[in-house]
Amino acid sequence: MRRAHLRRMGFYRRALLPVLLAPAIARAQQTTWLLNQDNAQIGFSARHLGLFSSHGRFTRFEARLELDATRTTDALVEGRIQTAAVTLPFPGAEDTLRSPTYFDSARFPEARFSGRAVGITDAGAFTINGRMRIRDIEQPFAMTARLAERRRESQGDVARFTASGQVQRSAFGMVADRTFTADAISISVEVQLLV
Amino acid sequence: MSDAPDRWSLAQRRLHWWSAALVVLTGVLAVLMVWLPFSEMLAKFLAYQLHKTFGLLVFSVVLARLALRALRPAPALEGLSPGVLRLAGIGQAGMYALLLAVPVLGWLAAQAAAGPVPTTIFLVIPVPHVLDPNPALYAWLRPVHQVAAYTLLGLAALHAALAVKHHRQGVPVFRRMGW
Ligand code: HEM
Ligand code: HEM
Repeated sequence: MRRAHLRRMGFYRRALLPVLLAPAIARAQQTTWLLNQDNAQIGFSARHLGLFSSHGRFTRFEARLELDATRTTDALVEGRIQTAAVTLPFPGAEDTLRSPTYFDSARFPEARFSGRAVGITDAGAFTINGRMRIRDIEQPFAMTARLAERRRESQGDVARFTASGQVQRSAFGMVADRTFTADAISISVEVQLLV
Repeated sequence: MSDAPDRWSLAQRRLHWWSAALVVLTGVLAVLMVWLPFSEMLAKFLAYQLHKTFGLLVFSVVLARLALRALRPAPALEGLSPGVLRLAGIGQAGMYALLLAVPVLGWLAAQAAAGPVPTTIFLVIPVPHVLDPNPALYAWLRPVHQVAAYTLLGLAALHAALAVKHHRQGVPVFRRMGW
């Protein structure tokens, strides 16, 4: 599945990553990567009572990575997450997350983010600065990203990027259960791109 | 009759009633914790932690009971036929086995559940886990723990009813096991 998808994405492959990973061959013409649950993962985790963490995922989303043609070390990122497609491995937890006290998926089916990755390198961390919109409330949002791995597969090189950041859920109006669940929610993203 | 004592020692009597109270409390908490909706997450979490805490205390108290029982002969009991005594013995041995097995099965089930939650004694003392989350194993352990627990509760209820019956027949069981 993922291979097929990566191959389909080959259309876009001459864009961002050759530039970013091997600047010498940069010829930025195609500028878009499409990401979704087949080639990326979006996870979140929360601390409870300072005792333990729970880990969940979003299983339906789509995002675009667009190369900024004038600055090959920058990229635009934009994504939409289906808030109802949330998983958390406790019975009843997913319904609670979809309910009005949390994502209120019936009223706000999508969460969105958009931002700009700045100073992309193939070594070390770079920053993605942008905005996150959850429950129709928009807040600044930043992530730290890095190239985690680059490996050769039959259809080409696959680059795996990871990114992580944090939101305060109260800033998006999710104020329930504050004794049990910390305000800070960690977000982690992993992306595999055929380059 | 023999040199056997005529009642259970004070420690044995106290521990019998402590374990009985803990088993009933653990069972009530089990129903409560499963019944509470996830949206009541703090209460639900605390009910789970207390269920696990009291369940593990049952295990320790029963180990102590078995040690005491090995150290001291059982008091002699008159007034019951050998058949009834044998049945009572089998029932009590079954309860001891379940009193140990049910907490162990619960401890294993708690670790195998898909969502890892730590096990603690009163939220303070961490209890180690030896299994990783394993939904297939959990799908087996959870009902086994539950059925074993309800068997224990059923056996204990029968045992209590028979104790009352024998007391009414004049067999001095409550003198022997009274608090
Ligand atoms: C969960 C509840 C209970 C458990 C697990 C339990 C377990 C046991 C066990 C294992 C013994 C055997 C002691 C031994 O031979 O070493 C015993 C004895 C006894 N239990 Fe319980 N019990 C429970 C509740 C009750 C209740 C509610 C009553 C009274 C209504 C009761 C009355 C007695 C009496 C009188 C004896 C002593 C029998 C004798 O003299 O040999 N038990 N119990
Ligand atoms: C004498 C001791 C115990 C008794 C009588 C007992 C009883 C029960 C019962 C009746 C249930 C099923 C509740 C229901 O579905 O309505 C249950 C579930 C459970 N128990 Fe226990 N238990 C004991 C000890 C323990 C211990 C020591 C642990 C863990 C350390 C434990 C962990 C669990 C777990 C994880 C479940 C499954 C709950 C769920 O479905 O989420 N139990 N127990």
